[in-house]
Amino acid sequence: MTEQLMQDATFVLPGILIPLFPLIGFVINGVFGKYIPKSVSGWIATLAIFASFVVAVSVFSKLNATDSITIELFDWIAFSNMQIGFSFLLDSLTMVMLLVITGIGFLIHLYSIGYMHDDEASTRFFTYLNLFIFFMLLLVMGSNYLVMFIGWEGVGLCSYLLIGFWFKNDAYNNAAKKAFVMNRIGDLGFLLGMFFILFNFGTLEYDAVAQQASAFAPNSMLIVSITLLLFVGAMGKSAQLPLYTWLPDAMAGPTPVSALIHAATMVTAGIYMVVRSNVLFALAPHTLDVILWVGVATSVFAAVIGLMQNDIKKVLAYSTVSQLGLMFAALGLGAFASGMFHVVTHAFFKACLFLGSGSVIHALHGEQDIRKMGGLKKLIPITYITFIIASFAISGFPLLSGFFSKDEILAHAFEQNKLVWTILSISSMITAFYMFRLVYLTFYGNFRGTDETKKHIHESPLTITIPLIILCILSVFGGLLGLPSVFHVSHLFADYLAAVTDPSKAFLHAHEKVSHMTEIVLMSFAGLAAIVSIYYAYTKYVKKGEQPADEASLTGLQKWISNKFYVDELYDKIIVKPMLILSDLFLVLVDKLIIDLSVNAVAWFVGLTGRATRLLQTGNTGFYIFAMVLSMVVLFVIRLLA
Amino acid sequence: MIETIPQHGYLLLSTFLFCIGVIGVLFRRNAIIILMCVELMLNAVNLLLVSFSAYSQNSDGQVFVFFIMVVAAAEVAVGLALLVSIYRNVMSTDINVLSKLKG
Amino acid sequence: MNTLIYTSCLGLFCLLAEILNLRKLLVPLVVLGITVIFGVNYMEWNQGGSFYNDMLRIDHFSVAFSALVLLVGMLILVLTADYYKNEIHHISDYLAILIFTLCGALIMLSFSNMAMLFLGIEILSISLYIMAGSKRFETKSNEAGFKYFLMGAFASGFLLFGIALIYGVTNSFHLEKIGMYIMNHDATTISPLFYIGMMLMLVAMLFKVAAAPFHFWSPDVYEGSPALITAFMSTLVKIAAFGALYRLFATCFVGTLSYATQTLSIVSVASLAIGNFTALHQTNFKRLMAYSGISHAGYLLLAIIALYANTASALFYYSAGYAFATIGAFAVAIPVFHSMQNEGMDAFNGLGKKNPLLAALLTMSMLSLAGIPPFAGFLGKYYIFSKAIAAGHVALTLIAVIASMIGAYYYLKVVLAMYTKDSNDKTIEASPLYIMVAVFCVAMSLVLGLFPNMLMGLI
Repeated sequence: MTEQLMQDATFVLPGILIPLFPLIGFVINGVFGKYIPKSVSGWIATLAIFASFVVAVSVFSKLNATDSITIELFDWIAFSNMQIGFSFLLDSLTMVMLLVITGIGFLIHLYSIGYMHDDEASTRFFTYLNLFIFFMLLLVMGSNYLVMFIGWEGVGLCSYLLIGFWFKNDAYNNAAKKAFVMNRIGDLGFLLGMFFILFNFGTLEYDAVAQQASAFAPNSMLIVSITLLLFVGAMGKSAQLPLYTWLPDAMAGPTPVSALIHAATMVTAGIYMVVRSNVLFALAPHTLDVILWVGVATSVFAAVIGLMQNDIKKVLAYSTVSQLGLMFAALGLGAFASGMFHVVTHAFFKACLFLGSGSVIHALHGEQDIRKMGGLKKLIPITYITFIIASFAISGFPLLSGFFSKDEILAHAFEQNKLVWTILSISSMITAFYMFRLVYLTFYGNFRGTDETKKHIHESPLTITIPLIILCILSVFGGLLGLPSVFHVSHLFADYLAAVTDPSKAFLHAHEKVSHMTEIVLMSFAGLAAIVSIYYAYTKYVKKGEQPADEASLTGLQKWISNKFYVDELYDKIIVKPMLILSDLFLVLVDKLIIDLSVNAVAWFVGLTGRATRLLQTGNTGFYIFAMVLSMVVLFVIRLLA
Repeated sequence: MIETIPQHGYLLLSTFLFCIGVIGVLFRRNAIIILMCVELMLNAVNLLLVSFSAYSQNSDGQVFVFFIMVVAAAEVAVGLALLVSIYRNVMSTDINVLSKLKG
Repeated sequence: MNTLIYTSCLGLFCLLAEILNLRKLLVPLVVLGITVIFGVNYMEWNQGGSFYNDMLRIDHFSVAFSALVLLVGMLILVLTADYYKNEIHHISDYLAILIFTLCGALIMLSFSNMAMLFLGIEILSISLYIMAGSKRFETKSNEAGFKYFLMGAFASGFLLFGIALIYGVTNSFHLEKIGMYIMNHDATTISPLFYIGMMLMLVAMLFKVAAAPFHFWSPDVYEGSPALITAFMSTLVKIAAFGALYRLFATCFVGTLSYATQTLSIVSVASLAIGNFTALHQTNFKRLMAYSGISHAGYLLLAIIALYANTASALFYYSAGYAFATIGAFAVAIPVFHSMQNEGMDAFNGLGKKNPLLAALLTMSMLSLAGIPPFAGFLGKYYIFSKAIAAGHVALTLIAVIASMIGAYYYLKVVLAMYTKDSNDKTIEASPLYIMVAVFCVAMSLVLGLFPNMLMGLI
């Protein structure tokens, strides 16, 4: 017992330091930013994250996979029947997220130093970025849903601030607002779910909730409603159907933001939350089915839209939505560890891709349209190489990280539901195709921009290329963390997470494991499918040299896809417009007529009374004494009459 | 000696004196007279305490009277000092003059 | 007990210092002395006990409130160093009187005998009559001192008459013996003289806490007094008087509280209404604070009304929050008045640009007074309201909530003036002492607001 306590004590300081460093960075840049040279502020922010990363690594080296250490900072909300502490939880799941957030966060900060070099408001950028990391760390480190919720709202805020970072552009501001509002819809679900938990279990601590929930029968009304509400929150944050439209628009923010927030970390918060609550979700198979089909649908839907996008970042955005769908499909299958594994590998290659796209945009001075690129292979070789390797990884090219993590999910799908497997495989093939459409259009063929631009194309500085190279290496070898059983080595990643994901195993249907033979066949099929798709893209865009058609000339299905199935327009018609009409109505009827009038009347009355009572204060002592005696007599008389 | 008069007699008398004091404070405008009326109120209380003390064979009340007398003396000293400084500034002891502060 | 003795000695020492020619060193010495006394007071936490033939009784309630009173006194005494720097000849008198005021407050917080209550109130009041009129050559200060004196002495008469009547009925000045008398009689056999006595005492106490309709003295006196004394009065008198009122009702009149509830409720509502309404149109900051104080008396009376719900902690927390916010506000306002030669609300115009630090400190103090989280003012209101509801006074609490919404308006008016209005070019400088005190007070408001358990479990 004492040994346990002492061991816990060694984690208290690091546990506090990890989120503290970004907070300090935020305060330094936020408060004293005016007095710090622009070039220094970026390094301060980067160092803060690096410090967190170092501490996180040291914790990782000391923490056993089975440990679950709670660090209680202070009692936060204390009522007679409810105690919510502000406390952190360190276990394997938190650790994975910590390493991803601080590690990739550090690389992206480093990248931003180069990328935001010319921006006049770069101090503000780094301030927000540090604040984001702080909230993201709170989100994953909290030991109860409330602390998670603070982080959840905090990252939403930072996302809003960073999407609208270039606030002089109205379209960007609208994108920021859209992200915020869509997230609010999800947050409402999360909040309600939290209230349900608190109301029924009297606690928000993860382990206590899981323990109490275990007493319920599977698919009980309560657990299903809680999990569905929580999943609504996840849908908003992780951009699932139907709340996904904000994520492509969120590309309005600077590219490092897209890489950090909208690919590697924040959007995976929904997945983290579901895995964190895996016992709850395992007790609600109905919810898992919902998650599975939402994930599958999102995966294929977003992949299809990705086929026809011409903005380099939009393609990556839809690919992110699609990959997130894949992760949710894994969660829906009850394969929590596989979902997390894909979160990690996806963080590697998607961050690499986004940063690569940023490097391209940087080289082309802000050009994002792939129709005006081409032939950049020779001009920016490091960007090209890292980008194409990351593209191989995301496409599931054999033996790269994406191959293993995707394959694992597909294997689970094959075990449980052949239809899901089929759809996900198709979605993977589409992914491979549009990723290489992107690669070929950007880097091969001839440059299609102006000569003036071409003259200025140059490889990015070291602060940009080093993160690219590191992330590229990670995307290649990241898969080794979780080799399938065919290779007869243990699945490092799943083993590490076992302490977190095992409790839910008892409630999930056991499915017969596919045999090694089947697994090899599946893997070969997936690898082959990826290669075929890539080759098809090669013939289409390099050999034949096709160009994306002009939007005006598109017809039929292609036009639909190119316009993203008109989902935004649909939302506009059926939700936004009626809301606006309704709000106009309320403005006139309720606000102007009823509220304003009554409020003004009250204010007028109060003001008048104030003027009247002021007259009582005549300044005459005789009157004061008289009024005192009189009111005393009146009080006595009232008392006697009562 | 003191018991030759019934207790309620003292009660009535001191209440009567107290009320005279209160009415004096209410209706007089000269600050010195008001001070005297306040003193009258306090002395009414003293009388009451002494009579209660005598009737109940409890000396606490008489001790309390000394406290009141001491405090009253201190109060009057402060009051007269304030009055003197007012008189120096406005050359009047009428409390109606003191109505600069209002609202 | 030692707290009181040492504080009195410190007061005497100040008078001696005049002879010893220690004027320049005096303020640091006195602040040091109060710090020591604060420590002595802390030592008494676990001792307690009764003293002087059970005239005074030291318990957790009195030690906690004494600590608050000493802290308030210390903050004000720190400011005297700067405030009276042009009147160095009188500094030892001023300090001695301020410290004797503290003695009065300490007695009021630990009395267990009516004689001590009376003496405590008088020591406190007489000292303050002098301090209110201490600017001898200003008619306003004279007027303030004399008005305070006249009405205070008049109210003392009622207090004494009440005590005398209760003595006549119960044969005792001792709180517990009076409490025993109530215990041994049921409501019908208690002599009517007792009820009259209790109500007269109540009226006198309500006068001291400046609750409407016995509040008339406070706006005039607050406006006329030197600003530092206003800050002292508005915090110390209110805390001491409420502590005494609570002590009186909790240990003595607890059995007859229901008789006074109606009167207390009317007075509470009247204070909330008059305090908040009249404050709306004030143009003088000190007057505004006076009306704010009247409205806060209304909130605090809820704690007395809801006595059965054990409101001592809530009362203490609220008093502390109120005291820190008020002193914080005055610590900003005094240098501003000084620089602008103007005590009106327009003195704050443009402060946000001229001196952002002062403006931020005043803003936070005002927010705390208005009861906006995360400051102590918010939780103080919350605790008192929740206790009042627990004791079943829902309608009263509702009125108090509405009143606090009106109250937010005039507090924010000050904030608005600082940030939106333009001003002349006079610069505003504040000596580091003021800033130190203001920062301390705001920090305390914030810390108490974030960690209320520091005080809530205390009493």
